[in-house]
Amino acid sequence: MAPNETTDREHNKATARILRVLSTFVAEADDFGVSELNQRLGMTKNMVHRALTTLVEQGYLVRNKAGRYELSYRILELQNLAQAEPDFRALAAPFMRQLYELTGESVSLAVRADDFTVFIDAVETRKLGAWRTQIGALRPLHASTSGRVILSSLRDEDINAYIERRTPMRLTRPTGVMKPADLWRSIHAIRQRGYEIARRGANPVMVAAAFPIEGAEASLHGAIAVGGPEERFDPEGPQIGPSLHALVDELRARTRLYASEAA
Amino acid sequence: MSAKKAAARAVNTSALHVFDALRIVASAGEPIGASEIARQLGLPASTVYRSLITLEESEYIDRFQSSARYELGAMPRLLNRALLRRFALQRQSGAALRALAEESGESASVSVRLGWYSLRVAVAYGSHDFYHRDRLGEATPLHASLSSRVILGGLSQPDQQRYWAFAEKHFKPSVSDRQKSDAAIASVRRSALLIEPIAASPERAAVGAALRGGQGEILGSLTLHGPVVKAGAVAAPSALTHAHKAIETAMVGALARAPSPFAHLDPDDIVISLPRNPRIET
Repeated sequence: MAPNETTDREHNKATARILRVLSTFVAEADDFGVSELNQRLGMTKNMVHRALTTLVEQGYLVRNKAGRYELSYRILELQNLAQAEPDFRALAAPFMRQLYELTGESVSLAVRADDFTVFIDAVETRKLGAWRTQIGALRPLHASTSGRVILSSLRDEDINAYIERRTPMRLTRPTGVMKPADLWRSIHAIRQRGYEIARRGANPVMVAAAFPIEGAEASLHGAIAVGGPEERFDPEGPQIGPSLHALVDELRARTRLYASEAA
Repeated sequence: MSAKKAAARAVNTSALHVFDALRIVASAGEPIGASEIARQLGLPASTVYRSLITLEESEYIDRFQSSARYELGAMPRLLNRALLRRFALQRQSGAALRALAEESGESASVSVRLGWYSLRVAVAYGSHDFYHRDRLGEATPLHASLSSRVILGGLSQPDQQRYWAFAEKHFKPSVSDRQKSDAAIASVRRSALLIEPIAASPERAAVGAALRGGQGEILGSLTLHGPVVKAGAVAAPSALTHAHKAIETAMVGALARAPSPFAHLDPDDIVISLPRNPRIET
């Protein structure tokens, strides 16, 4: 590699860091200080400071009275009013890819349609033994990991009304019926944990983790789930768990900027 | 110059190229190719190509339909959303706007004053509305759209004069712009309302109502489009009156905090290179 090319690459890395600092302002905070950014992004304070200076010079950030940095109105110049607003699927797409890259397992995206979950997107692993997602298929809310996550976001009286409408709550693979008490146990666990972990089958035992994805004003866009055989996928393990949650949180910071169009 | 300083300057130059390329993509209006960007910047294609890769990897630009042409990516949209969230009127008007859109079937929106511009910070789309998509984040000079003319009409006379001085310098309004605005100002002063016919659909009108704070100061405007209002109408539909009252009441509590994060700035200092907007005739 020519020496020029190496330095070019270094400069572009530095520029990418500047853009990363700006991207942080998507998060739910009005302003940021240097040390918060330095902790959040794992950059040195010096790097953060240089990036902030460039972003203020470019007009996209301003320094407020408290000496902290906030978005400037000149962000409005970076818009194309003819471009369509992204929907839930478009917002989630880059994160579905990243979740797949992190885990190597199948990732799915589901929304609610009345009493059902409908899967609207998936990234499927090519490894042996994987969850298969049928895009467009309807599953009763109680019968899938993502569906129970969506159910648990409803009000208690709405969940009871669902149970009344759907009883007996049939299950497939394995065939059976879910008792209301079992569904409630699962809902309480989801509310406490913030997500659902479900295992089923034997040889291999399949495990799936599903996360609720919120929209603006406490609405719910749907759920994102990742699952695979227990022997190679542990969503709560130290290897994957923290990164998995960090990715989901990053997605939520974005989806919270958009109201859910779901009923 | 020391080696360290030279290196810092080189990084800066590289960053400047990236932001220049980003602004070209933003102002292009249509997806634009790398060679055209290089031509406009007067830079070698290889330099621009690297900038574009950095911008694409950071989600600031995206390829249009997997082609070799670029348009703005997810990140600028998200940052714009994050900016809008900082206006108290956005947080306070959501529920009332949704109720208004549901009752009328038409799109309803709230715009705030930002210097000598109006900025649409909240929209609820009505079920009748297929094409007239008032966009969130749309900023217009105070004379250039119905929502902004309502705000202009709510300003004090000295402020209106200051506005026209600013407008002459930055927007070059036409004589008919001035006439339309004068009529709007008179209407807002008379009734706090502005009803204007919609050019594209005869006999239909749009209505805007001034939103004011506790001291009578203008905060923004509430706008409703479509056939619920007929051209020549003098009163607002009752659904709009209800929404108007609900938003102003909600704002009473919220105004303890600043209504706009930019309220402390001198409006003459707020200059925005507006993105191309096919909906605005100016």
